[in-house]
Amino acid sequence: MMKSYIWLQTADGSIQQVEQEVAIFCPLICHEIHAGMGSSKTYPISLPARVNPVTLSLILDYCRFHQVPGRSNKERKSFDEKFIRMDTNRLCELTSAADSLQLKPLVDLTSRALARMIEGKTPEEIRETFHIPDDLTEEEKLEPLKNITDDPRIRLLNRLYARKRKELKEKEKLKNVEVEAEHVDDRSVDELLSFINGENGESKEVKTAKSKKKNKRRKDQQKNSNNTPVCAISNTSSTNTTTKESNGSVGHDDDDSSRVKTRCLPDINELLKLQDSEDDRFDDFDDCDIGDGIDPEIKEQIDREVEDFARRLNSDWPERVQELLSLGQERRPSLYTVNGNGCSAKFSNTTTRLEKHEK
Amino acid sequence: MPREQPKVPWQMEPEVDRISNLPGHIIDKILSLLTLRDAVRTSILSTKWRYKWVNLTSLVFDNQSVLVSSQDPTIIKNKMVKIVDHVLLLHNGLIHKFKLSHRDLQGVSDIDRWILFLSRGTVKEFILEIWKGQRYKLPSSLYLCDKLLHLELFNCLVKPPLGFSGFKILTSLDLQHITMDQDVFEDLIFRCPVLERLTLMNFEGFANLKIHAPKLTFFDIGGVFEDVVFENTFVLSTVSIGLYVNVGNDHELTLGTTSKLTRFFGSLPSIQRLEVQSFFLKFLAVDTVPRRLPNPCTELNYLSLRINFNDNDECLAALCILRSSPNLLELELLARPDEQPAPRSVKNLLEEDYHNCFFNQLRFVKIAGIFGSPRELNFINFLLANSPILERMTVKPASPDGGWELLKELLRFRRSSVHAEIIYLDP
Repeated sequence: MMKSYIWLQTADGSIQQVEQEVAIFCPLICHEIHAGMGSSKTYPISLPARVNPVTLSLILDYCRFHQVPGRSNKERKSFDEKFIRMDTNRLCELTSAADSLQLKPLVDLTSRALARMIEGKTPEEIRETFHIPDDLTEEEKLEPLKNITDDPRIRLLNRLYARKRKELKEKEKLKNVEVEAEHVDDRSVDELLSFINGENGESKEVKTAKSKKKNKRRKDQQKNSNNTPVCAISNTSSTNTTTKESNGSVGHDDDDSSRVKTRCLPDINELLKLQDSEDDRFDDFDDCDIGDGIDPEIKEQIDREVEDFARRLNSDWPERVQELLSLGQERRPSLYTVNGNGCSAKFSNTTTRLEKHEK
Repeated sequence: MPREQPKVPWQMEPEVDRISNLPGHIIDKILSLLTLRDAVRTSILSTKWRYKWVNLTSLVFDNQSVLVSSQDPTIIKNKMVKIVDHVLLLHNGLIHKFKLSHRDLQGVSDIDRWILFLSRGTVKEFILEIWKGQRYKLPSSLYLCDKLLHLELFNCLVKPPLGFSGFKILTSLDLQHITMDQDVFEDLIFRCPVLERLTLMNFEGFANLKIHAPKLTFFDIGGVFEDVVFENTFVLSTVSIGLYVNVGNDHELTLGTTSKLTRFFGSLPSIQRLEVQSFFLKFLAVDTVPRRLPNPCTELNYLSLRINFNDNDECLAALCILRSSPNLLELELLARPDEQPAPRSVKNLLEEDYHNCFFNQLRFVKIAGIFGSPRELNFINFLLANSPILERMTVKPASPDGGWELLKELLRFRRSSVHAEIIYLDP
């Protein structure tokens, strides 16, 4: 039987003739053929701009191999392995071209290959492999939260950092006046009540100047949150209601002593509170903290914490290898039916790990 | 006009950053193939990569994704908490899969707020594995995740709040090392109306397993339980069941009631693959064992039995299942070594069957862990004599002692299949 051919045109204008049985492997081309295109040189199928003659020929090689029925999985796998051995940029082009022709198996194959090139590499190595410009400043790299996109959560995170700095500072202050620490709780309850009832700053004499100032700030925030729409993590109105509820019910967490206890990131309630006050106020924290001449030791600690994320991003490859190796030893599949006795894995205490059954 | 073509034009090409300009969905795909750690690290590659990872729909926090190089549990905990908080805060968009499975993280209360956060989204796949420490009590917010398709819990305490309406579209549930009350268990299964796969391993707090699951096709269970009852499991085709505790030989007076064996198979009309592990055969056998099941398992094509050949009841139960499985393709018999000595006079249980029981479809048999006792050899002889199209029988004894004797016996047996190959595997 004679093979039927179809005509394909790439974006550069060149036209070529291809076996139909090979070309129909690409869903996009198949669709065009069914629409009556490509049967003559005068009506070629024009391919998307992302397909150039070089990638087209690669794609056709791929289709030519895989359209033959009866090949074993092993044969297909070994073809694929050899097929993807090419220059990284070519691989990127091929991925893009295959994607534009909706050739999913090839997109999967090349994406996996690209992922393998990134896996476990340092940023420098990845940049070198793919010729990615190193256009971030060192400062930006250490601070992965720059608010380019207008994402409220990134702003939120920046605020958390500011808040953390403040916490540390307050903790330091508290060390000096530990005797007074017990009063703080009472005050905070009052504060909370007044916050809920809206009678700011008038409740008790006990308040120190500091807490009054804070109260005032809170009042402003409250006012502010009434004016501006609440910027919530989720956009549903029900979430907003929840936000306000939790804001009230956990208000006493906000007092200085317990805030100091929060060593890591503040809990979600604190986060929710933060998002209610979408204004510049926390930037004040930033300013005053930086200018305040903090104890160098604390400053160091702050820096360490802030950079933690960045360090995590940058940690070394050898460390990873070690971890993976040790992981390999731990992760032996566990058989709970040992020697036919059918004994289950023993439930263990805090020191040992449990075993999991995989099926 | 002379054309100023560069002699090696492709030398310029490598300088182009092509990967960063791939379509967004391709970059998402590549990122999804990386560990979370590698994916997040791409944010410091360049401005274009800055926030690419934040759209990941799958967040996996395990030992590969999160490296904590410390032995101190407090440091590990603090780091993990920080990392998960960070990622969840920076993440933008839908989260379809969330997996938390760090081998050194215990069930800390911080997990509560992550679950709360997820419950507000569209999480479809939730996997929580607490490898160390006490059972982690799941917060009530977990039961609000109504988009769940797959739920996997390891070392957790399951206690849904009053008014829990169920996981309406959950198709796969995997519970291991979990604690929950009897009524909670029954209710949970009942309230997952489209459940297709259920795995239950090492559970506490309930012992009577009532499985009401009309869509269930796969059921894998191993643990200590008193009874298992299937209701509306008409499409259940793959079952692996192991009872991890021996049942006594004291026969209950169950005259007049149907035997456990009959009841068990009666509720599994679509069974295709069955693994009977640990002491479950014994459980089925401690009862009146019929010669054949009232309704044969016509669809059963794979059967694996963990059996004590020295136990008469178990052998009778195994024979009953075999006689009632005319379309068996593959059979595995795994001997369970028993502390009891072999009975001195072995009654030949099989003599009568030599002429009226044929395995017309049986092609593969595997027998492992045997000692070469007369009862075991009797079983092998029975299978070889009655399987006309057998292709391969693999025999692997428990110990090398007596290997020669076993081989001599195996050689003598008549085989009804001319194609049958007997493979002796060294222990």
